[in-house]
Amino acid sequence: MIRRVTGTAAGVALLIGLAACGGGSDKAAEAKTLTYWMFQDRTPQAGEVVEKLRTDFEKANGVTVKIVKIPKDDYNTKLGSAIASGSVPDVGILDQPLVSRYALDGTIKEMPAGTVDEKAYYEGALNTNRVNDKLYGLPVDHTAVALFYNKKFVPAPPKTWDELKQMTAKIHQDDPKTAGMVVPKGDGYGAWMWPGIVAGAGGSLVDEKDKKILFDQQPGVDALQLWVDLLPSSPRAITDSDKAFENGLAGMMISGPWDVANIKDQFPDLQFGTAPLPYKTQPAGNIGGENAVVFTKGKNADLAWKWLAYLTNSDNNTKLSQALGGFPTNIAAAERDAATFGPDQAAFLEQLKVAQARPALPQWIQINDEIIAPAIESALSGKVTSQQALSDAAAKTRALLGWTG
Amino acid sequence: MAYFIIFLLYPALSALYYSFTDWDLRTDAAWVGLANYADLIFDDVKYPHFWKSVQVTLQYTLIAVPLTLGTALAQALLLNAIRRGSNVFRLLLFLPVVTAEAAVGAIWRWLYDPQYGLVNSFLGLFGIPGQNWLNTPELVIPALAFIAAWQCGISMIIYLAGLKGIPDSIREAAIIDGATPVQRFWRVVFPMLRPTTFYLLVTGVIAALQVFGLVYVIFSGGGGKSVTGGPEQSGLTYVLHLYLFAFRYDAMGAACAMSFILFVFIMIITALQFKFVKQEAS
Amino acid sequence: MRTSKKVRLTPIYVALVLLAAVSVVPFVWMLATSFKHGSDVYTKVPSLLPLDRKTGDWSPTLENYDHVLQVGGLGQAFLNSVWVCLVLVPAKLLIDALAAYSFARIPFPGRDKLFVLMLAGMMVPTITLLVPRIHVTQQLGMFDSGWGLIIPNVASVLDIFLLRQFFLSLPGELEEAARIDGAGRMQIFWRIILPLSKPVLAVVTITSFIFHWNDLVWPLVVLNDPELYTLPLALQQLASSESGRAYYIMAGAALAVVPVIVVLLIFQRRIMQGIAFTGLKS
Repeated sequence: MIRRVTGTAAGVALLIGLAACGGGSDKAAEAKTLTYWMFQDRTPQAGEVVEKLRTDFEKANGVTVKIVKIPKDDYNTKLGSAIASGSVPDVGILDQPLVSRYALDGTIKEMPAGTVDEKAYYEGALNTNRVNDKLYGLPVDHTAVALFYNKKFVPAPPKTWDELKQMTAKIHQDDPKTAGMVVPKGDGYGAWMWPGIVAGAGGSLVDEKDKKILFDQQPGVDALQLWVDLLPSSPRAITDSDKAFENGLAGMMISGPWDVANIKDQFPDLQFGTAPLPYKTQPAGNIGGENAVVFTKGKNADLAWKWLAYLTNSDNNTKLSQALGGFPTNIAAAERDAATFGPDQAAFLEQLKVAQARPALPQWIQINDEIIAPAIESALSGKVTSQQALSDAAAKTRALLGWTG
Repeated sequence: MAYFIIFLLYPALSALYYSFTDWDLRTDAAWVGLANYADLIFDDVKYPHFWKSVQVTLQYTLIAVPLTLGTALAQALLLNAIRRGSNVFRLLLFLPVVTAEAAVGAIWRWLYDPQYGLVNSFLGLFGIPGQNWLNTPELVIPALAFIAAWQCGISMIIYLAGLKGIPDSIREAAIIDGATPVQRFWRVVFPMLRPTTFYLLVTGVIAALQVFGLVYVIFSGGGGKSVTGGPEQSGLTYVLHLYLFAFRYDAMGAACAMSFILFVFIMIITALQFKFVKQEAS
Repeated sequence: MRTSKKVRLTPIYVALVLLAAVSVVPFVWMLATSFKHGSDVYTKVPSLLPLDRKTGDWSPTLENYDHVLQVGGLGQAFLNSVWVCLVLVPAKLLIDALAAYSFARIPFPGRDKLFVLMLAGMMVPTITLLVPRIHVTQQLGMFDSGWGLIIPNVASVLDIFLLRQFFLSLPGELEEAARIDGAGRMQIFWRIILPLSKPVLAVVTITSFIFHWNDLVWPLVVLNDPELYTLPLALQQLASSESGRAYYIMAGAALAVVPVIVVLLIFQRRIMQGIAFTGLKS
């Protein structure tokens, strides 16, 4: 009996399945359909900009471009499942640190020579696509973080660490209900910003060529100690509140250009300014942004490269990158449109000139999340000194990478 | 049967196979035997937070399951005791369950907000100082367990169905025997609810050990911040840890091994529960 | 007699009101926020009413709803979700009930072993099963289609477990009597078992409806076509693109909750009907 019942059920399921195959949408449409995956929009105007670029490209080339937008948090989940089950997009966004990994195992294609003029792009942004001196993608936009300050508390933005510390202390002294600054935390996001601070003391995180860990040396310790020192005048009970800076509860914060548009949209009354990050010995910052790559198992590789060249050419790259909450990677576009960026964006452009790329190590994401972030957190919570936290993290990183330096 | 094999057994077996391999979802899986299991348990360089995630999950289970079941049973008993207005109350108590996950995260992040949060305002009425709930390692698990208890509506409904299933005749007999309400509960109602309680306990423990969605929405603040499990990994539950390795650190093989370690653990716990109930019964 | 009953019920009502308040406040905040103008969300004193941040005037707005329906594509997603649930829930109910009944009542070789195996399958974290399940779905040609959402989810071990527990608790005399009258297995199932199981069937309906109405992970990986997106997926997209704009997310979430409340109201009565064990003194 049971067998008959389940057999029937399975039969029904199979029939429905067959019906779905026969009557469902036919996936093998005309030869030229390009599938492009990107992150879900982060700015109000993104939808329109992308849509216009898409339709123009379709008209010019007589093809169809299917765009799938995926929330950033879920992107790698979806991409990983798609690759594993063999249903990859033809072309799509890829996090900067992932490019080297995907390139080394053949998941993404090397860019054919002559696709674009390499000199047309900012070197730093282009290099995030370079693995063993070969290019595996194109930078769609790039971005950096800078200092946001509330003009009510901060008459002129601090330039150096010392000024930053004084300013932070003063704000909190004047009003104990206000935090001096939203000090980054020991989480993945804080660990992503931290290299920019280390570079501001003249240091860097690792030396990939000589396989040496550098973040536990003096510049790294100083950078972490800066955050530790800022914390007493920036209580977490204030800064952990949602939108503490925007609500006037904190004098300063570190964030990216996407927040400029968001603050103007949601908190029109807030009098704020942006400035380059304060530094100890030299101006520096970190780099972020989106690269786009062509998947080996996708179709229409030639068309895919054409699409990426089109997105990053001097005509389109400004509009697109601004819509994505970043800046053009195409030099001609950036220089031509520099005047249109507005005063609030100037700080980020300054930062981009001195931005340091992330270590191009396949394991970097894991090191960032699982080793550096907890180390930052343990120093911030006062459990260990900055030097101890970083020495410990360096030892763990060496063990994970199998390095000796 | 065929269905069951296709959609449950085959995936489970292939996951078991992958747990013996080093697999990044992209290239062919390389057979490594038991290395994943050994590394997870003994190698704290490769997996520095594995044991932390075990501890977090056990803590959460021990707090959340009793809290949820207790709340559900209390609510069901109260609802069962009244006639007028029970429909309205039942609906109100059930509302939290039907709230979409994406919204639950946003709602509770706001309720626990150290500055604007309602939780602190409420505690303030009793002179209890405000806490930074989701950013204080010691408070994260209780805060999460409270959300779980807030969403106990399903258990409540199941308890209610169980209560309705108790024949009136038995209850009347107890009243005639002159049992007080408390006695009635312990001698009649509670034993009659045993299958229900058992079901809820087993499924509740299984669900708590696998808690993921809740921490995912609470700790993904948006704005490009990645989910890494709360302050000092205090909210890094086992399955969140597993998820990070599966889809963020490219180690699906290790993630599958984590799955089966959890699987064995759940089997043992469940078997113990079954055994315990059998002993009770005899 | 009457007054004593009133006195007895008062504390019960008080307790219920308190519990209901805890359940409902976050919910009310969600609704209030969905009617607030942007920055009015951040008030120094948490406000459960849509008031203007500066003046404290009553100023609800519908613009958030307008926005999510226009931009967020929630309208289409809403219809998709309705369609999926309308097909999936009844199918699931039937298959689960049949399976549970055979596990409870029909002896066949290896029955209990098979049941334990299925339970075991439930204990493998779904995240690890994700990849193989996608693989199967793709092989069956259901990827990126509505069927891909429905077919792989049409049987649920959890529900089978619950139904089996319930069927086991039904007294066997009824079936015995029917069998003596010459009724076949299916007839017994349809005429006796199902009518008696209304409360638990209602529970399964409600729980599986809520689960699929709010399920996010599976649609996320199976669907690529925005035209097919279900509500949670559209909501997740919204939460991602409107990160930090709680008022939009809450408007979307409120839209997602309304139909569930409707379903609840329909099935509430079913649960209330209870079971009449008339003429059965065990």
